[in-house]
Amino acid sequence: MSRDAKFLELIEITTKFDTLTALDKVSLTVAKGEVVCIIGPSGCGKSTLLRTVNWLAPPNAGTVRLEGQSVGQAPERRQTGRGIRALNTFRARMGMVFQQFNTWPHLTALENVTRAQVVVLGRSAAEAAERARAALCDVGLADKIDDWPEMLSGGQKQRLAIARALAMDPSLMLLDEPTSALDPELVSGVLAVLKSLAEKGMTMLIVTHELGFAAQVADRVVFMEAGRIVEEGPTSQDLHAPKTERLKDFLAKLTATQMPSAMAQKVVAHDPI
Amino acid sequence: MKFDISYTFDALPRLFEGALVTLQISLLGIALSLCLATGLTLVREATGWTWAHRMLAVYISFIRGTPLLVQIFLIFYVSPVIGLDIGPFLAGILAITLNSAAFVVEILRGGLASVPKGQFEAARALGLNGWVLWGKVILPQTFIASVPALVNEYTQVLKATALLSTITIVELMRVSQQIYTRNYHPVEVLTGTFLMYFVMCFAVSRAAAQLETRMKRRQA
Ligand SMILES: Nc1ncnc2c1ncn2[C@@H]1O[C@H](COP(=O)(O)OP(=O)(O)O)[C@@H](O)[C@H]1O
Ligand SMILES: [Mg+2]
Repeated sequence: MSRDAKFLELIEITTKFDTLTALDKVSLTVAKGEVVCIIGPSGCGKSTLLRTVNWLAPPNAGTVRLEGQSVGQAPERRQTGRGIRALNTFRARMGMVFQQFNTWPHLTALENVTRAQVVVLGRSAAEAAERARAALCDVGLADKIDDWPEMLSGGQKQRLAIARALAMDPSLMLLDEPTSALDPELVSGVLAVLKSLAEKGMTMLIVTHELGFAAQVADRVVFMEAGRIVEEGPTSQDLHAPKTERLKDFLAKLTATQMPSAMAQKVVAHDPI
Repeated sequence: MKFDISYTFDALPRLFEGALVTLQISLLGIALSLCLATGLTLVREATGWTWAHRMLAVYISFIRGTPLLVQIFLIFYVSPVIGLDIGPFLAGILAITLNSAAFVVEILRGGLASVPKGQFEAARALGLNGWVLWGKVILPQTFIASVPALVNEYTQVLKATALLSTITIVELMRVSQQIYTRNYHPVEVLTGTFLMYFVMCFAVSRAAAQLETRMKRRQA
């Protein structure tokens, strides 16, 4: 396989919390420019898997590689010295977006986006501000540059968080349920930003329950259950012709709870077959 | 003996000078205490030095478990014995700082607890850690959350400096003692002293309340 095909590799990741096995020998390979959606019931290890990629949750066993270079190899933890500096360089290349936004409330929108650029990438304040303005523009917050995060709506906060990640010019985005904490009417704005990112060729790993969105942007869908990948395949196949009963059940439950008719329509509308 | 308010008025100029010294000492004390407590908080929260954590716990329980007056005397009388000739002023500042820091550490612990874990994660995910993570992301939020409790602690320190009169520091309380031991009108003089302390503490807590509403409005 070419280097692009093995852009990101998770190899036999096992993560335990005390007696609980959150991830059980999970392996996943993501190609450059690919959008992979991860779905699965609550507590099945989706967040832990995403947090393994940038070593926020160091696993008990397994390896993560980005473009062939080892981000981390269990059991190393990299809390100090040269190790943490190398890890920070990797982390700067992976933008992460959280369910709870985690924007910094004591900094303005602009400062939220410039801080890490200056410290981690060594950009000058002017360069960082310019890049930040462009990123805020991209997510539709051009008029909120000097606002405090607390003055923004949930959807705007999440777009600010996306801008903060994008301003680092990452080669990979990790998004953990980016719309789950949002009021329904604010979801579409965030999804639109993510969709345009996908169209620009950004490699993305997205944990989401928005099946309509997944059907539109994902190249591949990964279905997890109890710390394992149960089914993984091209989006159209996973969402419309699941092979396992479990995924069938999961999709049925999800479409039943979430705006049933609209969801079904969307999925059908984008079915390439 | 009748209450003669003219003695209060006569004492006011000198009491005012004493109040300025009280303000200076208390400001210096709280500033040093905040620095020390911030350092100790970092040791406690950002390092894995278990021996240091244990010493910190011992320090806090000693300070909180003994009277400040005893701590002041101990530092004042013990420092020359161990070869440190620091004089009453430095001894007083040192006592106030060491005492207050033990309380400020606990205040900052509370402030830190109000900072969501996600704030750390967002910073780490961007490649920040160590000084930047703490200095630019976590500590500012910790301080903001601690402002009300810190202001309260400052008024405690301001009042506690009256105890420094016992080791000959000429602050507000000492000044009033000097005046009434000469004119034999303690009631009138102490009334002035009482009002001086009250005005200072009142002004501080009013200013803090204003600051708080302004901070809240910024985030509304
Ligand atoms: N830091 C942690 N400590 C202990 N248990 C954890 C921790 N993080 C996650 N878990 C547990 O691991 C399992 C997987 O969690 P998570 O990855 O958050 O699931 P998901 O994101 O799919 O809902 C859950 O049972 C959760 O309770
Ligand atoms: Mg999760």
